[in-house]
Amino acid sequence: MRMSVLVALCAACLWLSIPVQAGQPRIVSADGSITETVYALGAEDSLVGVDTTSNYPPEVRSQPRVGYLRALPFEGVLALRPDVLLTTVEAAPDRTLERLKQAGVEVIQLPVARSPEGAMARIREVGRVLGKGPEAETMVADIRKRVERIDTNTEGTPAQVLFLMAAGNHGVMIAGQDTAASALLDALGADNAMGDISGYKPAGREALLASRPDAIVVAESRPGQFDINQWPQLAALDAWKQGRYYIGDSMLLLGFGPRLPQAMEAVAGVLAKAGPVASAAH
Amino acid sequence: MQGCWRKRGRLPVQLIDGAGRLAKGPALLIILGAAFAVSAVSVTSGAYPLSAADILAVLKGELDDDIVSMVLFDVRLPRLILGFLVGAVLAVSGAILQGLFRNPLADPGLIGVSAGASLAAIAVIVLGGTWLGGWLDLAGVWALPVAAFAGGSGTVFLAWRIARRAGQTSVATLLLAGIAINAIAGAGTGLLTFYSSDEELRSLTFWTMGSLGHAAWDDVVMAGPWLLLSLCAAPFLARPLDAFLLGEHVVGHLGYNADWAKRAAVLIAGLGVGAAVAVSGLIGFVGLVVPHLVRQALGAGHRIVIPVSALAGGTLLVGADCLARVVVAPAELPIGLVMALIGGPFFLLLLLRTRIV
Amino acid sequence: MLLQVDGLGIHLSGKPVVKGLGFHLDAGELLVVLGPNGAGKSTLLKGLAGEHKIAGGQVMFDGQLMTGWSNRDLAKQRAVMPQRVEVNFPLTVEEIVRLGRPPEPLAQSMPILMELMELLDIAHLQHRLAPGLSGGEQQRVQLARVLAQIWDAEGPVLLLLDECTSALDPAHQQHVFSLLRRLARQRGFAVLAVAHDLNLAARFADRLMLLHQGQVHIEGLPSEVLTEGVLAEVYGLSARILELEEGYPLVIPRDDAHKPGYSWASFSRLAPEKPSCRQAS
Repeated sequence: MRMSVLVALCAACLWLSIPVQAGQPRIVSADGSITETVYALGAEDSLVGVDTTSNYPPEVRSQPRVGYLRALPFEGVLALRPDVLLTTVEAAPDRTLERLKQAGVEVIQLPVARSPEGAMARIREVGRVLGKGPEAETMVADIRKRVERIDTNTEGTPAQVLFLMAAGNHGVMIAGQDTAASALLDALGADNAMGDISGYKPAGREALLASRPDAIVVAESRPGQFDINQWPQLAALDAWKQGRYYIGDSMLLLGFGPRLPQAMEAVAGVLAKAGPVASAAH
Repeated sequence: MQGCWRKRGRLPVQLIDGAGRLAKGPALLIILGAAFAVSAVSVTSGAYPLSAADILAVLKGELDDDIVSMVLFDVRLPRLILGFLVGAVLAVSGAILQGLFRNPLADPGLIGVSAGASLAAIAVIVLGGTWLGGWLDLAGVWALPVAAFAGGSGTVFLAWRIARRAGQTSVATLLLAGIAINAIAGAGTGLLTFYSSDEELRSLTFWTMGSLGHAAWDDVVMAGPWLLLSLCAAPFLARPLDAFLLGEHVVGHLGYNADWAKRAAVLIAGLGVGAAVAVSGLIGFVGLVVPHLVRQALGAGHRIVIPVSALAGGTLLVGADCLARVVVAPAELPIGLVMALIGGPFFLLLLLRTRIV
Repeated sequence: MLLQVDGLGIHLSGKPVVKGLGFHLDAGELLVVLGPNGAGKSTLLKGLAGEHKIAGGQVMFDGQLMTGWSNRDLAKQRAVMPQRVEVNFPLTVEEIVRLGRPPEPLAQSMPILMELMELLDIAHLQHRLAPGLSGGEQQRVQLARVLAQIWDAEGPVLLLLDECTSALDPAHQQHVFSLLRRLARQRGFAVLAVAHDLNLAARFADRLMLLHQGQVHIEGLPSEVLTEGVLAEVYGLSARILELEEGYPLVIPRDDAHKPGYSWASFSRLAPEKPSCRQAS
């Protein structure tokens, strides 16, 4: 009984996981932003598998998933017979990567992007791997144009921004230093109101009240995850009452992928409402 | 107490003896058969498509494909061996500690082995970039397993030192010390979790759910000797452990050195589980349920319970690992999760079917 | 002299429970140790069994200091039955009795196991699991296990039995004690048995030893130990003693022990000190 289930499952998985694409390199992408970039460059036909952090665009859900980027299974990746494993330096474990190289898979680990420049460099790199150099250049030029158009605060007092991550249904996490959230605020010339903590920490209701930010950004992993009714302390802040807040998808806000200008424009829009405090040179 | 097997009434009568147990010979054959079957499944199943014909061809040297032989010899074979050894050691350690504590609910987690090992491993994951950077540089890829091993055996030693007074080891104190150490290690783990970054949190969650997915020959070489040592030493404890079932003092009355037996039991379980946790993360349930089932089916004598638990534990873990790697292929489920998912309900069913545990 | 105890002292949690206790036991002798709760009977037995550390005095077994014996050698000549043995695991009666045997093939143990199970009237329970047995059955199983240990011993044998018939019905009590006496007489076992039943002790013992507050209060033949004065003094028990034709005394407690007004407090006037209620009885 169990045997037959095993065999059936095995067969089903294998059948699903081997679309034959002659001529193109077979690529497994193990990073949400990289996957997004592959789609944005129109090279999704090369993809034979993605990791669990790859959720955008929605079409990506039909791809076989090899598991989490930090716990890549050797045999699982190999079973997709990829030519290239495209991932970041965060990929783990090292031994799996090492053995994939031995098995003839080209393992490309790109740096983690934490700035507009980094994001653009990564897009160029992905374009190069995919043989879509010109398309990548066009995309980078477009991104550069849009980013430069965004009015970032270079003079006066930087706006204090409270950046929150909606975490499951049991509360929110505060984004401190050394996070993609902080990097996004840096790119916009704003300050992290919670700069004295590092990483993501559970939010205390009192600490939220004490933070007195000029603006609030909430990243959620699925739409509607964050419910302001559960956080009266946030609703009591001036920034919230005066509408200086933005709630957006965490992959969009923190991915530093092709949608970076969109993310920056959205947050910059909220910062602009903060008025003279935030942007003296408006 | 009635063995659960008799009530099912499906097995031929001659398989069951007067105490409602399975006859030992046929039971051993069944379990050996299961071990071979599950090993065969383990070698032939996985994300990478390999047919039995391919495997035979590679074994005969007719098929020369580097990737196929790599999947077979460098991925599935070490994984099978390590899975079997780890399962066997977890089950045997459970059997030993249950006998030592005279409590069928004892488990390697109880004397703090797992907690100590996981604290050390999580410390390496979380503090590897900062305070423990030197250790990472020194130990390289071994940093985590070696730390887990040291953490596990260190905690056992600590619990044992605490329980030792005036030259005698009190089993009750050992148990209580284990509980306290578990709590302290749990607090340490919690603290580290609090200070961990999002990424570190993800890796340590995966680690605490256990996995054989990254098993390689290196792991077999590193953990294998300890696991084997623990397995080979365990049968020598069978007779004193039988005496322990009657009470701690009876061990001495029957001419065994009770203190020596306690020390050996804790050492064997500590080293074995420490090594197991080091290479496969935290895998619960095996140590608790396998010896329990074996006792129900074959009786509580440790000369039977220890070797049969080893076989059954290895078989169970390899079987669970097969499931773990095919259910969501090409990704893999953490094996601790699979174990709890199939084991928990099964154990509950068993409790409902038998009156006395 | 198989067992010679001199000036024995044993402390529990720092308190002396057995003090300056001395006695001897010969091969072929059945000595029953009596005494009120907390008198130190079990502590004495555990001290002799090696469970408690000896704080003072010395114990000689077969002409050699008890502490000089190795565990393994001692187990061949001395068997111990604790007051309570609880079995939580699914062991059969036969398996438990076999635990007393040294490592040997089952075929070799089997005749001895069968003989003992017959002797203790548990042969019909051979394949039953111990946790499902009654208290008295379990006690007989343990006794069989204890006897299995020294059944084919060469040289002297010492049996230390702590209330080994406490859960048995009267018929089995008589049966077990007569078996013990037979073993002493015919096979030369030295038997030291702690008991509470005065009449059972009087009927079967060669000698009685009455402990009180950790010391030997009186020791001797049953008719010497079981007197109205001694019982009143040690137990605070008012009793009538009948000397039977069979040659041993019969203790019959008096009704007035339960008369209203005859409270425990008034016993303390009779006894030099109130019967103590130490943890270790």
